[in-house]
Amino acid sequence: MSTTIVNFQKFYVTKEGLVKVQKEWERLREFKHRKTMGETPSLLHSEEANPEYLSFQEDMTLLEARLVEYENILSNIELIRPPGKEGRDMVHLGAMVTLDMEGTIEEFMIVGTIEADPMQKKISNESPIGKALLGARVGDTVVPNTSMVSHRCKVLKISYHEK
Amino acid sequence: MAYARRFLVDQRELSKQERGVLQKLIAAAELVAPLYEKQKNQEYPGANFYPFNATKQEIEKAAKKNPDILSPYTFVERKGKKLVAVPYSKKFNKELTQIAKILKEAAALSTDKKLKAYLAARARDLLQDNFDKSNTLWLETGQSKIGCVIGPFDRYHDKLFFQKRLYTSYVGILDKKRTEEIDKFRQAILVGEKRHLPGAKQAKIPRMKVRVGHTAILSGFAADFLFVSDNLPSSADLYLIKKKGTISTIFYPLLQWRFSTWIWPIYNVIFSSDLQRRFSQEDIEDAFLRISAFSEITRSVMRYDDAAPRLQELFPYFDEIYADVLTIKAASLLYLKGTLTEKELQAILVAEICQGFYYLGCLDKWPHLQTNAVGYALLLDFLLRGNALEKQEGRFTFNFQKAFIAVDELSNVLEYYLSIGSRKDAEEFLGKFKAKEVLEKFAPQLNEILLHQQKQTNSV
Repeated sequence: MSTTIVNFQKFYVTKEGLVKVQKEWERLREFKHRKTMGETPSLLHSEEANPEYLSFQEDMTLLEARLVEYENILSNIELIRPPGKEGRDMVHLGAMVTLDMEGTIEEFMIVGTIEADPMQKKISNESPIGKALLGARVGDTVVPNTSMVSHRCKVLKISYHEK
Repeated sequence: MAYARRFLVDQRELSKQERGVLQKLIAAAELVAPLYEKQKNQEYPGANFYPFNATKQEIEKAAKKNPDILSPYTFVERKGKKLVAVPYSKKFNKELTQIAKILKEAAALSTDKKLKAYLAARARDLLQDNFDKSNTLWLETGQSKIGCVIGPFDRYHDKLFFQKRLYTSYVGILDKKRTEEIDKFRQAILVGEKRHLPGAKQAKIPRMKVRVGHTAILSGFAADFLFVSDNLPSSADLYLIKKKGTISTIFYPLLQWRFSTWIWPIYNVIFSSDLQRRFSQEDIEDAFLRISAFSEITRSVMRYDDAAPRLQELFPYFDEIYADVLTIKAASLLYLKGTLTEKELQAILVAEICQGFYYLGCLDKWPHLQTNAVGYALLLDFLLRGNALEKQEGRFTFNFQKAFIAVDELSNVLEYYLSIGSRKDAEEFLGKFKAKEVLEKFAPQLNEILLHQQKQTNSV
């Protein structure tokens, strides 16, 4: 029997991210439904365990684990909202930040771990840069706290999407 | 054949017709090896591009009257008292006509429209000593199942002017899964805009792609230098890269060969047991693929318009290692953004050190890799002097934090020479740097690596 460890941490997502998580959960649920509606392979093949049944069980276990994972996310989700006027000069979750990273100018959004995708310029709040930036203001220079790499990042611009 | 290397490739995903195309391209690639051999062989008239008794000044003087003397695609020969330029297409007309014929047959057989157009254009260009049209069409074939590069592109053997091109060829099948994996890193590395030193003439590259390929054959330059990757258009055609971009191809079977024959054994010989326990073979192998891909990606974005003409034959000494230094820097940014874990970043540094020992270790065997060896000697020297590498009972331990500081320092030095430094400054810098002294510092480890190589060769 497999055990799925469920934790109760908060999952921060944007509205867009929430829609994606819900869609994925529905897709997995629908997939499970279709799988179990079909013909289930029988347990025994001659006198030995049917390999098709074992493979089916393995797939189902993985699917169940993914569903539990998504249900856990959905029940602990916290929507990222732009801060009020007075907090907009500071980096919070959901902020678009432009940085001078020792000569390289980069722009990205700070998001929760499940939405993080540096290829799409979305950086996790738990990454070394994400952690260091939370609470920073325009003009601040932050240095991510890592034991290996020391990199100075100067905040050039902070903005928030309204939707 | 010394300058052609074949690899077994899984062709099950190719249709019968695609297999036919592949076979023809392999046959064409094999014909490139003798051309490269003639370019390299001292006994062949015109080898090494210039008459053996011509001085640099004499060639420069002749080039003022006849610019073809310094064309990338000519041999310079002495006719009486004059130096004359003989185009590659004339010198190798018979061989190139045969190669072009096979390429046309492969194009006729192919149903991949982009590959077809590229092969047909390449067949024409081989006999015209101008590759812009076919190189532009090559850039359209990024997703084609079969990849084929054939022609004269790299400049490493022109020790006088770093101009003349060497015949090369590689043919392989696209590894879609690995290509997609590397593509994610490519997108993450290529974000952001770098500021440059005042006066630097940075070349903006519109696009670059990476293809991981199951290489079926390497021929000519590619088979001799055994680099695990190559890009086309090459840096020699910067004007074209600036207009159209470039594609880097990673030779996956060669990468696996270098990893199992050199990199992994080196890792087990040079590092302390503590460090060895930290990484599995898979960790280092993944890191080795990453550094091979990252160096191609970073190389494509850090180009300066005037670097090669300004530094001439000294250019590759700076350029090669700069790509590896930028690889480490790019990896450290990916770590800060959460794309790589701390362990993956450490493995990348370790793989770079092993690669350095590879170039130093095989220098006696393959002296033509000297530019890479000198570059890595610089990196290892910076790491030693920065106390990032420390010897303990004959093996090295590693201080990762100090290593990144040392890499930053070296990066600044290299950036200076590549972006604005004069040739004279660069010569002086390289003159002061005693690569041999660095080699001596690593002599016990290098001897152990070579002994290991010897044992492996004997046991085959």
